[in-house]
Amino acid sequence: MAGLTFAGVHKTYGEIAALRGLDLEVRDGELLTLLGPSGSGKSTVLRLTAGLEDVSAGTVHIGSRDVTNVAPAKRNVSMVFQHYALFPHLSSRENIGFGLRARGVPRAEAARLVEEAAALAGCATLLDRKPYELSGGERQRVALARALARRPDVYLLDEPLSNLDAQLRVETRAELKRLHQRVGTTMVYVTHDQLEALTLGSRVAVLDEGLLQQVGAAEEIYAAPANRFVARFVGSPAMNVLPAALDDGLLRCGPFDFEPRAAELADRRLEVGVRPEHLQLATGDTGVPARVEVVESAGNETLIHVSAEDATLVARVAPDARLEVGDTVRLTASPRHVYVFDAETGATLQGLER
Amino acid sequence: MMRDRESRHLALMLAPYIFGIATLIAAPAVVTFALALYEYDLIRSPRFLGLDNFRELVDDEVFRTSLRNSLMFMAFAVPMRLAGALALALLFHRRYRGVGAYRTSAYLPSVVPDVAYALLWLWIFNPLYGPLNLVLQELGGPRPQWLTDPLHAQWAIIIMSLFLIGEGFLVALATRRSLPRELYEIAELESARPLYVFGRVTLPLMAPTLLLLLFRDTIFSFQATFVPALIVTEGGPPPYATTYLPLFVYQNAFEYLRYGYAAAATLVMFALTAAIVYVQWRIVRRWRHAFVV
Repeated sequence: MAGLTFAGVHKTYGEIAALRGLDLEVRDGELLTLLGPSGSGKSTVLRLTAGLEDVSAGTVHIGSRDVTNVAPAKRNVSMVFQHYALFPHLSSRENIGFGLRARGVPRAEAARLVEEAAALAGCATLLDRKPYELSGGERQRVALARALARRPDVYLLDEPLSNLDAQLRVETRAELKRLHQRVGTTMVYVTHDQLEALTLGSRVAVLDEGLLQQVGAAEEIYAAPANRFVARFVGSPAMNVLPAALDDGLLRCGPFDFEPRAAELADRRLEVGVRPEHLQLATGDTGVPARVEVVESAGNETLIHVSAEDATLVARVAPDARLEVGDTVRLTASPRHVYVFDAETGATLQGLER
Repeated sequence: MMRDRESRHLALMLAPYIFGIATLIAAPAVVTFALALYEYDLIRSPRFLGLDNFRELVDDEVFRTSLRNSLMFMAFAVPMRLAGALALALLFHRRYRGVGAYRTSAYLPSVVPDVAYALLWLWIFNPLYGPLNLVLQELGGPRPQWLTDPLHAQWAIIIMSLFLIGEGFLVALATRRSLPRELYEIAELESARPLYVFGRVTLPLMAPTLLLLLFRDTIFSFQATFVPALIVTEGGPPPYATTYLPLFVYQNAFEYLRYGYAAAATLVMFALTAAIVYVQWRIVRRWRHAFVV
């Protein structure tokens, strides 16, 4: 068991920079999810940890061991690939035991460990089948069992649930979390699905364009995003972001006015962000009038797209709101849930009186 | 409507090939079957013999020698050629500097015309000034009499065939390159040694292709001896050390003008090839469950 430390890691592929100076610490025993859009460098982090690629600069430590120039075989990590990478000609049993047999673990001992890992991953009944006889979810379990058959220092999971259908994904996500609690080994889990990242991770690291944007607990990432990218990438639908300006002692943004802490906001181009769930339908004369353009009803919630002055906003409202296209609603946003960003850098500013 | 037009187009496009197969393969094959029962020398009209040609073959010492030579060639050349094609494919499947040139040079001998290729080897094998024996001499090795010693001459024909594996190499290369990289990354992470990976991953996954190459090469191997034996060793050295079935057929037909007898020998060659491939196929079928994905 060991943590994982990236210090000043760069990785370039020819002209393209995949990682541009990554400093990241994964604590011993935690499940860290790496969240980012495709091309953000999150899979590169896994491949560099495993040693399948070499860093261009910087160091990688597993525990206190510098593994920057250590061969993959000697790093003691296990990996689960997005497309499972099961050997198509081998049964589940042989697939799970592949690493054990390759390392010369005696047959009887290997058989016992295979059974154990299969039970842990929930594929004990599939051991004598071959990959083509398994469904996607079953293959995923076998791939997981193969990683579990050994006791590595770190587990690396590269979007292991992305090929499963929605319901199975939610079930397996919960199982994976339980599994991590039982095994207690450090896990790094890559995903582009923000919901998966938030629900699964003890902590979440958000990457974009090869740079770490923020790392922290799920609540922290959601409630106190470090910048506009994190704010918009986490949460669905994405946060509404509108251009804003200081005017006559008020922060004006589209239809809304807020009271600023002027010192922080002076001399910058500004933007204001409000999550759809923090836009509320107001009663009476309060709030800003807006016209309903689109109504999306999802049973447990309703999303409305509204236009107010020049701005288009998305708001999440209760399913019993009974709104129709063309209705006029009044919206309010509590300053407590409003974020101010520097329009140039995207950084979050502590700009409002709360 | 559409189907009619499509099948008309299809027929039209296939026509040249069907014509070619009919006139160059099917018709001669039928003629060969018939001719095997006759005596025919291009001058006198054919005389029906029944199975006499086959009876004569059984007692013909030269035929038995050439049959044995052909089978020995097959037994050595086919596995060595397959192993060679696989080895080259595994050497050159990665991308690295100059690999394109290596791949090209592995394939290149296969595009040299047969006769030119044979003449080249005639020079290489020359015991006095041929480069092969000069190199062997420098290394302090033996100096085989490639063209005059019966056993050495048989090896010479096998050696010549080992460089004409361009097609097998290409097929094996394409197969190796189509294997998913992730499987090898898993093997790497699990500390599997190269030999273990070869036996446990590469070989089984390439097996279907390799078996196909095996069948193809077996069928091909009878014919592969013809030009080298004709030009380099001329069927000798005595006693008929490199007279293989195709050369035997050629000599009987075009030198001794015994077309009926040659046709009978051709049919034996054909039947033998079919029988060997059938046996291979039966063996493969018995353990294919271990490989088929």
